[in-house]
Amino acid sequence: MFASIENVVERFAQHGYIASRRIATVVYLASRLEKPILVEGPAGVGKTDLAKMIALALDRELIRLQCYEGLDEGKALYEWEYAKQLLYTQILKDKIGEVIAGSHGLAEAVDRIAREDEVFFSERFILPRPLLRAIRSERPTVLLIDEIDKADAEFEAFLLELLSDYQVSVPEIGTLRAKVIPIVVLTSNNAREMSDALKRRCLHLYIDFPDRAHELAIIKIKAPEASAELAAQVVDVVQSLRKLDLRKTPGISETLDWIKALTLLNVESLDHELVKDTIDTIVKYESDIRKAQEELKSYLRELKLRRPAAAGGDDGSTPLS
Amino acid sequence: MQDRIAEFAGLLRQNGVRVSIAETLDALAAVRVTSLAEGDSFRSAIRSTMVKRASDIPAFERLFDIHFHGLGNLIRQAERAAREALSMSDSEFNRFLQRVEEFLKEHGSEEMSELTQALLMNRAGQLDRMIRDAARRAELDRIERSDEENRFVRALARELGLERMDAELGDLQGQIDQLEDEMLREQLDEYIEARRRALEDLIRRHVRIERARRDGTLRESEEAGTLADRSFFYLGEDELARMSDAVTMMARRLKSAIAMRRKRSRRGRFDIKRTLRINMKNGGTPFILRFERRRRDKPQIVVLCDVSDSVRNASRFMLQFVYALQDLYSRVRSFIFVAEIGEVTRQFREGDPKTALDAALGGDIINVYAHSNFGNAFRSFVDEHLAAVNRRTTVIVLGDARNNYNLPHERALREIRRRAQRLIWLNPESRGTWGFGDSEMERYSVHCNVVEECRNLNQLYRVIDRLAPR
Repeated sequence: MFASIENVVERFAQHGYIASRRIATVVYLASRLEKPILVEGPAGVGKTDLAKMIALALDRELIRLQCYEGLDEGKALYEWEYAKQLLYTQILKDKIGEVIAGSHGLAEAVDRIAREDEVFFSERFILPRPLLRAIRSERPTVLLIDEIDKADAEFEAFLLELLSDYQVSVPEIGTLRAKVIPIVVLTSNNAREMSDALKRRCLHLYIDFPDRAHELAIIKIKAPEASAELAAQVVDVVQSLRKLDLRKTPGISETLDWIKALTLLNVESLDHELVKDTIDTIVKYESDIRKAQEELKSYLRELKLRRPAAAGGDDGSTPLS
Repeated sequence: MQDRIAEFAGLLRQNGVRVSIAETLDALAAVRVTSLAEGDSFRSAIRSTMVKRASDIPAFERLFDIHFHGLGNLIRQAERAAREALSMSDSEFNRFLQRVEEFLKEHGSEEMSELTQALLMNRAGQLDRMIRDAARRAELDRIERSDEENRFVRALARELGLERMDAELGDLQGQIDQLEDEMLREQLDEYIEARRRALEDLIRRHVRIERARRDGTLRESEEAGTLADRSFFYLGEDELARMSDAVTMMARRLKSAIAMRRKRSRRGRFDIKRTLRINMKNGGTPFILRFERRRRDKPQIVVLCDVSDSVRNASRFMLQFVYALQDLYSRVRSFIFVAEIGEVTRQFREGDPKTALDAALGGDIINVYAHSNFGNAFRSFVDEHLAAVNRRTTVIVLGDARNNYNLPHERALREIRRRAQRLIWLNPESRGTWGFGDSEMERYSVHCNVVEECRNLNQLYRVIDRLAPR
């Protein structure tokens, strides 16, 4: 468990995640108040990573449930293992024969079997899915319910019991309470508005794109091999692209992909050709690429003008030549 | 603190942020486990428990500052004013405050009222709390109009105990006059005078801010309610912008409502093949049933928008609305007309709706300053673009049907109707005026499946809702 808000920041930093105070506060509150966190924000700002980081920092198992359209209880909570049940009945045929031996008529035989039926509807034949695993786990866990907005509204309603009381109902067995209360993180890309009931039960955290300084700090940790000049240029480019109206705005993950690709190519600073060749690592649609190139034209021209003055004694050889 | 957070919840609600009682309690619990000393985490704690919608965050930030820092800022300003009156640096001022405290102790400070002590010894936190308590006793939250300000200033001063403080300051003045040290005497005079003035000013400004806060929120919520009922015709520049935001918001709401509806009605016939396959593992016993998903053809839409002066706003929002919902339809084509007709589908597909609108209405595609000629527009549509219409197409015409006494050419409209699945006419004029003057509405409406009045956002919403696939 986290001792304080500072403690969250520290522990996250040890694992290479720079948490703003706002994020750290919410994480701390979630662990203290035993409330789920609903993380919203654009794609690629590290929403899923946050859950992974909590698991890492607390040394807990991460149980992940990826949501999609049509996800149902059978996939999320539990399923009866029909095949196993059938197999057991086959093997136990003789035993069953014994039980119903000497019964008068069908009704009595059914009664006798019915008396034993909890054998087949016990936890032994349950196939636990992520939610049930998180509830039944002996050790504390972090439960990540990823992209909840992709699941149907009915599934959202089904989650409410779990989120407020940390328990689930299995009709044949009864109510299962969590042995250890997990930290629950739900992420949403805002494909649709979540219901008020769900929101009321969660702490809300909105993660936006990082500002310039924050993004630089992230690069320093995640891609330490990149030169400072390159990092600054890449961040400038990405930050200016985020102001455009793109179909897919580049997130932090795209920034990191790009800077890693550039360092692989031994690039020390950006130039026009490089941007043209590698821009598709950060913008993914044809129309976006066109817009991006238009936007970057003036920026790159400025870079070119600045280069000789800034480089001083450098002979200005491009890294790829 | 409890009261302050409950008050804040009320303030958020007044500004259209939904905050439940459970969430207010969560906020209290959250504040209890974070340290109050750190402003940042206090803010985050409140925000994460009370504000659950990203679009409410700006309102939260603004209100938080007013509510939790408003008075604090005023008190800090008052302190600065006192320091500047004495023209001292920070450290000099601190040393001076120590001397003030000593001086007060020598002259029986423990018998003075809390207010006098807090004010002269510069205890900001205490002052803050006292003013808030007094404001509650004076029922400052009832203030509504600016002409009530003076009354509430007096009430607040009374509740604070300003009278007693003045008496005490008078006594103090006598003792100061007997001081030997001339410099200290002057400084103390100056300081007390400045503080006294600042407190009065502070009370007045606090009342004014409270009044403005309530007043402002009232007006805002009123506006939001009526915007959807305002006629498109009479809109100012900034109303246009806000209306455009409202259109985007409504489109989003409609979209999720439609998505919901579709899911509910999607289950189709029993699917034998898939049921058999999934039950193989159970030895063919059908434990799990599978149903077909009904496939639904997305409708195609062709929009014909009159963009002459009189109905341009309505057309603008109509286009914006339709394009915000673009992915609900398999195809959207849009045309604009005044006397001639031109296609603007490409502009909308490539740019964001705002630039597309400006491009479409800029005059490059058709002459937007001509006189409306519906007949001619329909005829050229039939001649040049009729291929855009097939039996799955819904054609929407938006216009006032004021044809300037030109030939109506209703046969062209009939031709469009014959090929389309349905033809809908939206008229931004009020129904009572249809058919008068040069309005050809009656002649045209014969050929339409649906004719609707569409003068404001609510009507537009209803119309588009009916167009949505079910």
